[in-house]
Amino acid sequence: MREFEFARPGSLAEAVALLEEHGAGAHLLAGGTDLVIGLRKGWLAPSVVVDCKRVPEMAAGIREDGGSLVIGASTVMTDVVEDPRIREHFPALVEAAEVVGSVQIRNRATLAGNICNCSPAADTAPPLLVYGAVVHVAGRDGARQVPIDDFILGPNRTALAPAELVTAIEIPLPERRIGSAYLRHTRRKGTDLASITLCCSVDEQGVTRIAFGSIGPRPFLVSDETGVLADPDAPDEAKAPIFEEMFAQASPSPRSMRSGPEYRLAMLRVLGKRALQTAIERLARGQST
Amino acid sequence: MKIPIHIKVNGEWRDLDIEAHHTLLDVLRDDLELTGTKECCDEGECGTCTVVADGRAICSCLALAAEFDGAEVITVEGLAVDGRLSPLQQAFLDNAAPQCGFCIPGQLMSAHALLLHNPRPTLDEVHEALGGNLCRCAGYLQITEAVLQAAEASS
Amino acid sequence: MTSGGIGSSPHRGGGYGRVTGHQKYFADLKLPEALHAKLVTIDAARARILSIDTSAAEQVPGVRFVTTAADLPQPIPRFGPQVPDRPVLADGEVKFHGEPVAAVAAETKDAAEEAARLVAVEYEVLEGVYTVADALDPAKPLVQDPSLRPEDDPLRGTNIRKEYRFGFGDVDAVTADVVIEHTYAFPMVTHFAIEPHGFAAAPDGDGITIWSTIQHPYWLQRTIAGMFDLPLSKVRVIAPDLGGGFGGKQHPKFEPLVAYMALRAGRPVRLLLTLDETFQAVRRAATEVLVRTGVNRDGTLVFEDFVCNFLAGAYVDIADRVVTKSSYWAGGPYRASAVRVLTRTLLSNTVPSTAFRGFGVPQLSWARESNLDEAAAAIGIDRLELRLRNLPEHLEEFMPGDTPADGTWRETVDKAAELIGWDAPLPPGRGRGIAIGLKSGPTTGLSYSMVRLLADGSALVFAGTSDMGQGARTVFAQIAAQELGIPFERIQVVSGDTAVVPYDQQTSASRSTVIMGNAVLAACRDVLAKVRAMAARVYDVDESEVVTEDGMVRLPDRKFTVVEVAQAGLGRLGGEVIGIGESRKDATPGHPLSGTAAFFEFNATACEVSVDPETGQITIHRYVTVSDVGKALNPNQVHGQDDGAAVMGLGHTLMEHYIFDDAGRIRNLGAIDYRIPTAKDLPEELISASVENADGPGPYGAKGISEGSLLVTSPAVGSAVRDATGLVIRDLPLTPERVWRAMKEQQ
Repeated sequence: MREFEFARPGSLAEAVALLEEHGAGAHLLAGGTDLVIGLRKGWLAPSVVVDCKRVPEMAAGIREDGGSLVIGASTVMTDVVEDPRIREHFPALVEAAEVVGSVQIRNRATLAGNICNCSPAADTAPPLLVYGAVVHVAGRDGARQVPIDDFILGPNRTALAPAELVTAIEIPLPERRIGSAYLRHTRRKGTDLASITLCCSVDEQGVTRIAFGSIGPRPFLVSDETGVLADPDAPDEAKAPIFEEMFAQASPSPRSMRSGPEYRLAMLRVLGKRALQTAIERLARGQST
Repeated sequence: MKIPIHIKVNGEWRDLDIEAHHTLLDVLRDDLELTGTKECCDEGECGTCTVVADGRAICSCLALAAEFDGAEVITVEGLAVDGRLSPLQQAFLDNAAPQCGFCIPGQLMSAHALLLHNPRPTLDEVHEALGGNLCRCAGYLQITEAVLQAAEASS
Repeated sequence: MTSGGIGSSPHRGGGYGRVTGHQKYFADLKLPEALHAKLVTIDAARARILSIDTSAAEQVPGVRFVTTAADLPQPIPRFGPQVPDRPVLADGEVKFHGEPVAAVAAETKDAAEEAARLVAVEYEVLEGVYTVADALDPAKPLVQDPSLRPEDDPLRGTNIRKEYRFGFGDVDAVTADVVIEHTYAFPMVTHFAIEPHGFAAAPDGDGITIWSTIQHPYWLQRTIAGMFDLPLSKVRVIAPDLGGGFGGKQHPKFEPLVAYMALRAGRPVRLLLTLDETFQAVRRAATEVLVRTGVNRDGTLVFEDFVCNFLAGAYVDIADRVVTKSSYWAGGPYRASAVRVLTRTLLSNTVPSTAFRGFGVPQLSWARESNLDEAAAAIGIDRLELRLRNLPEHLEEFMPGDTPADGTWRETVDKAAELIGWDAPLPPGRGRGIAIGLKSGPTTGLSYSMVRLLADGSALVFAGTSDMGQGARTVFAQIAAQELGIPFERIQVVSGDTAVVPYDQQTSASRSTVIMGNAVLAACRDVLAKVRAMAARVYDVDESEVVTEDGMVRLPDRKFTVVEVAQAGLGRLGGEVIGIGESRKDATPGHPLSGTAAFFEFNATACEVSVDPETGQITIHRYVTVSDVGKALNPNQVHGQDDGAAVMGLGHTLMEHYIFDDAGRIRNLGAIDYRIPTAKDLPEELISASVENADGPGPYGAKGISEGSLLVTSPAVGSAVRDATGLVIRDLPLTPERVWRAMKEQQ
């Protein structure tokens, strides 16, 4: 690894100042599970690495705040998975977080880091999209909030402006009863990167939301308000055209090593159906998991 | 850039001057000469470099040593107490878990972390906890059996 | 019977160090004053090197020098276990993705890495040869210069390095009711030992010391001695226990390079590969095999006819031996009227293929067993039944003039069938498969051992076998414990140093329990002969009246332990009783493989699977592997090896393969996109079993083990998939996507 300076700011102001001072030469370090690989392979060559785990405004922890759960930027996947409130209200996020790498990875990788790294295959993006998460951003011009669908722009590209960072991810508690599920497709049963990653929610008013990733430059969020998808009694023939329209914007890379485009598109349909089924069942059961 | 860190390794507090760009794995093996923790993929995929930091299993190859100021780290060398093998280590021997042995320190640390939080794991829970530790000799059956046996013995 | 003797499962020798972290592997060795080396490679699979500018690299603080081909003797030294075709560094042309063009020597790892990045190589990408089709295409460029091949080689102007014909009978003269012909492909896969390769060298007076993660220390010693014009006595190879070998660490790779660098530096030089670099250093030969199987409607196997293309790499390494040894036995454990094999070693601009557990047999078995299943389907005979009908009996010479069937193989097959429940009704949606295979053990062999029974009744066993997880060290101690009647815990096995340990030919071919085991046995018996002489002297009896057995010395009227007699015989001065043993299997003149098989590893594997009809994902519900082992000297280790081999076989069956781009470059270097089985990828039930009839040539009737259980993993799984779904897939790996594609085509 090339040499770099290491900074450990103790305040948000200090962290932002470092980003301002070094511009593109500064990289934020959260869990390191993406950054350190980039450093070692030479894809990234920062002059300073900024470890923000001691910035109080970004501290690890999940708190309730006015009808939302707010997940601090330094919160690792293991903590997301084990939190009883997340398990109760956002089971699909738990399902996604618990397949991010191995136990060792989940003990370090942060939810915010997963979103900021913004791989098209980021496992937690689909549930966060479906649940309508909002990203809390802070920078030299103060704080702002960005809906996740606007935050994710493309492969490794977010809406963060220079000298901005993420302090937390907020997920509003559902106002309607919902059932939700997360599925993904991998090459082996053991730890793997996803070839398809998908989340589906169905609410008591018949609105279905589906987010799918690893099938284009960024994960997509689509919804069906006709009530057909959410209807457990509607036949497959009625649901199929709706799915087709939803999946029309999928554009899998022909160069991917993980699977070919034709297979990916087929699995998208398979997982979509299965996740929808589970979501409907969970809504009917009146429980979240 | 040299960074001073105050780090507890296997029960002993140490004051080290480490390079900012060195990983925890580098510092353990090269600076502290604790070569029990091994190096393989260097990208957090194989689990060979697993250590327990602040009670949790992590890949030391993906962690910068500088992050561990104030942290408590346990490596495989810290499992035996007063030279006596821990029940987990003994169970590994009794079940012929080590074949070539190179993945074993990492497997032991993942298992150690598991048993710290979950003293009576199910088979699936053992698989999940050790799912990030590759073994090419594929002694998975023996390793899993050893962990379950150690859990049994400790309760 | 002593504790820790034969048939028991004492703790693995060296197990304590492995669970405490104190076991020293290559990377853990301290080499004072050593320079760190780093390889320089280019991003091309075949390219002409135009220039190498090392000036920026040399400016990095801590860099001592950068070695290129220009710094080496001219013409550039070459080496290789079969043919000395491999240059120490790329010679004017990079011939595979990852062939190094230079190497940096620096005081620190950081400096070496930094400098390697700064070496500027100008190169011109050339068209290369990457597939079997490419290698057979006369229009494609030559991988190797013809000057490297014998002048009378008719294939000199092609990429066919060698072509062989094996077999017996006349396939064209026999008739079969049904002939099934298909081609089967096996991909390139890599060993992925968890310990990456390491190499170090240091000048040592007028000689040289080499440290290496090498499976064959004595072979390496010979190579270095030859290249540096040194007597063997001045070349010392130190081989620490390996963190996995699987064949990928058998033969030299970068030892000659670090030796040149060390001699230049006057100091030790140490090179440790990254995991990615190991993928570019070693792999298994890929194959395309055309099989024609002729059967009669009554289930008789009439003939087997093979055309085998093995895709080796840019240098031969041991690839040609892989081809001959596996192809000669391509017919497998079957009685047939005729077998014909045309087989080829093809060169390509890819990583040189080398030995890999199974040594060509998994590739050929995939083809043969799969085709046999298709033949079974064609004549409507049960797949198990077809195999049993043509299975040789014990001692039947199914390969004319060669080793006959060395076990009651039927027992092994029956056991596998029983454990899988072959005749039980299948749950809906599931399928079963069964496959059988055999691999020849070593064809020649030579091992020496020395046993030193010390004055306090403990013992040292010198055995040059490399311990890479197969547990050789443990087994040798068990043999000594059994023979000398001393506790297993009081025996220390010494290996890994050519200056101290007597000669061992190699660690491969599952040979060590048999060949080295017999040498250890002979050394123990040499000790016992000396103890008998001592007994005669001390107790004043005739030596002919002294019997040693099971660690005891029996006289006409008394008995003592071996240790008691030894101590009495050594007297007050103490000392030790030294025994030497040799185990040798000489070459058979004129034999295509240089010798008959010392024994066979015979295996039957069966499994039960289901396939997700929407995703193509295969779930293995039960997997059974049964091997004919002769005698399990350490049952736990046998299980560990067989379970492990099975899971490794599932790797190349379900998920492993190199992925290349159009320019022959490897795309999936490293652990993220090259998938091997994890603890979560195991079959729901994995059962390994042994058949023991003490009918092997090794100690106590043992045969070799540890390759048997991955010989036929692929066809067993393929067979079960076909049984469950009707899908016939002839290429590996059986990824969900490949299975799905086959399902779509079926519809």
